[in-house]
Amino acid sequence: MILVESLVKTFGSFRAVDGVSLEVKPGEIHGFLGPNGAGKTTTIRMIAGLLKPSSGRVSIDGYDLAKEPEAAKRSLGFIPDRPFLYEKLTAAEFLRFHGGLYGLEGEPVEERARELLALFELSGWANELVESFSHGMKQRLVMCSAFLHRPQAVLVDEPMVGLDPRGARLIKDVFRVMSEKGVAILMSTHTLEVAEQMCDRISIIQGGRIIARGTVPELHALAGTDDPQLTPVFLKLTGGGAFQEIEL
Amino acid sequence: MTSAFPWLLLPLFWSARNRTRRREPGDGLRAALFGGSGLAVAGALFAIAFWLTWQLLDYEELGDYLIRLGLGWLFLTFLSFVAFSGVVSALSTFFLSEDLRLLLPAPVPQSRLFYSRFTRTVGQAGWMVVAFVLPVLLGLGLARCAPPGYYLTAVGTVVPFVVIPSALGCLVTLGLVSVFPARRARDVLMLMGLLFAVALVLLVRFLRPERLLDVQSLPDVTAFFATLQSPVTPFLPSFWAGESLFAALRGQLDLLHLGALWTSALALSVLVRAAYGRHHFSAWSKAQEARKARFTRFVFLDPLVRLLPMAAARRALLVKDLKVFLRDTTQWSQLLLLVALALVYVYNFRVLDLERIPYMSRLVKSAYAFVNLAMAAFVTAAVAVRFVFPAVSAEGPAFWIVRTSPVKLSSFLWSKLWTGLLPILVLAEALTIASNQLLGVDPFLRMLGAFGIAFMTLALVGLACGMGAEHPRFSAENPTQVAGSYGGVAFMVLAVLYILTTVALLAWPASIYIWHEHRGLPVSPGRQAAIAGALGAALLLSVATFWSAMRRGVRALEALG
Repeated sequence: MILVESLVKTFGSFRAVDGVSLEVKPGEIHGFLGPNGAGKTTTIRMIAGLLKPSSGRVSIDGYDLAKEPEAAKRSLGFIPDRPFLYEKLTAAEFLRFHGGLYGLEGEPVEERARELLALFELSGWANELVESFSHGMKQRLVMCSAFLHRPQAVLVDEPMVGLDPRGARLIKDVFRVMSEKGVAILMSTHTLEVAEQMCDRISIIQGGRIIARGTVPELHALAGTDDPQLTPVFLKLTGGGAFQEIEL
Repeated sequence: MTSAFPWLLLPLFWSARNRTRRREPGDGLRAALFGGSGLAVAGALFAIAFWLTWQLLDYEELGDYLIRLGLGWLFLTFLSFVAFSGVVSALSTFFLSEDLRLLLPAPVPQSRLFYSRFTRTVGQAGWMVVAFVLPVLLGLGLARCAPPGYYLTAVGTVVPFVVIPSALGCLVTLGLVSVFPARRARDVLMLMGLLFAVALVLLVRFLRPERLLDVQSLPDVTAFFATLQSPVTPFLPSFWAGESLFAALRGQLDLLHLGALWTSALALSVLVRAAYGRHHFSAWSKAQEARKARFTRFVFLDPLVRLLPMAAARRALLVKDLKVFLRDTTQWSQLLLLVALALVYVYNFRVLDLERIPYMSRLVKSAYAFVNLAMAAFVTAAVAVRFVFPAVSAEGPAFWIVRTSPVKLSSFLWSKLWTGLLPILVLAEALTIASNQLLGVDPFLRMLGAFGIAFMTLALVGLACGMGAEHPRFSAENPTQVAGSYGGVAFMVLAVLYILTTVALLAWPASIYIWHEHRGLPVSPGRQAAIAGALGAALLLSVATFWSAMRRGVRALEALG
């Protein structure tokens, strides 16, 4: 469903993403992990169509993002890490607007918007301006919009940022249901616990390259650790195991 | 923590320093344009003040009286400006500034924070007045060969004069924010300020100051000055400033009025300090409360737009743009100023007395028709740079929504174009047709004007839309910042060049046609071809300007990232 082949992004002489390839199949939740500055967000932004790759290819639902951007984007839902929205629209108006961008209008969209607002516990705020929302509420509204057009693939950059435990639990449940319905989810996260609990497969990126990929047991085997947690695996693979004591 | 309060002002200076070090494309052009205009205005103010004072030297007592009166009025005008500016600046520095979230939790004593914020408020509210007043006072002093004490008194007068209304502005703001939430108070103030500006523009214009230049209306001039006397009251700081400076101009020291200025400035500063200590934290806390904002729902807009024959995505973009614009007080309120300027524009043509030179009247009217066309096009360009040029940048950080959606960026830009083009076309046509009607110009020129302005509006709005997409500033805080950016200045330069060329291309063939028609002579085939060529060239230039700007704009959007 999401196919990334030899993706490269350079900023001047700096190679932020260096030949990343990955595939997320329908119904799969694929975790995308890596230390800060590893190239996760740059890769996600290229897949979302926000950043032009220096080379390589992205296709969504079989459509090449460079050649048929509209068709590819129609199948994709994107949840960015920072929920910038139109502050002077209400939540309901924002969803109506979002539906319009995907060519959807009328009662079916209104009905879908009501469902999603109820699911993400925003029904009481449907007719309030986005400017009066908290960060977590904006994040939940972005999720409503990402699922509004029933995408076949969802791209998520740091889904848990700004969410309370109740919201985080809700997102996990929603992602599970979506994946059961055949939606492919590529999720970048720093929360290893979330990745461990939810992801079918995980890719670890460092220095712009994928350095490890597999299921959680496969990554344990690759790192050669017996620790049941994912954190030591991550630290070992990314070279962060040498814990340096600092005076605090 | 460093003890002195100026430490808290350092980030302001460091930011300014870093801005000057990090040059962006077009900084030189912008600095030259703005700096040059600023120097030209200062030079003009100095020259006018010097010339007027020089002329008044011949009238001894009457001259002295008028200078004294003029000084009082100069300061009275600025008093209201600084007071209003103080209210707006205080709202920003004491309540809305982002760095307050960093400073308030820091162990900064309240007094230091107050003094740093108060200094910022006075600086922000008063710098423009100082920039305007100093060349005037310099011109006055040099023309009267004033002693050095005059210049010292000028500094000693302007400083407390700026502090007094700024402090009053701070007090009003503290009171306002105690009643309204800070952001609501800002909207109320923006609207009040704009209405004030609109009233001022209309008042000044409808007073018809050009009558003063008419020799026959000399008795009116005397009456005009008589009306100026009444509002000047000895209890206002503007009067004290005027008196102090007038005394210094004659080599005297007016300690009474200087003392009144300084003691009032100090007393008000102490008062603001006390009010700040007592009310600021509670008012600031109130400003943080997330209240449900009140707003207009515009429920009629969605069904109305649904009637338009356009794709769902374009409809969605149009409804979104209209609602965002109409709910933002800083945006829609600009329309009031626009309406006032349009009224003044048409009124100018109504009061224009072209019949004073009867034998020249037809020629003058024809010439005015083209001046009118050029001026209407300048107004169009000015409106376009303020409303259309920032349209893409207005998406701000939320632009990811459109960019990740299945909407072509060309559709997005065309939607922005249509949203801006239709209202501006109506405005430009209304201005041109109404003013040509009031001028009573030749029917041929009226028609040419109506067609000409339509094409010029298309070209100018297309140019603004395309260049706005080519030079976006998604991080800008408001559209004025976008309009004043490098791209905005470059647009205005290109727009002026385009307007002058097009008006020349239209005026030349029109003058040939009118000359022949006036003399009852047929236009030769060669001339006819030349006329058609010039009109065709104007049309081609307009279409090319529009098309190339839009194409470059779409390409720039597609290349983003």
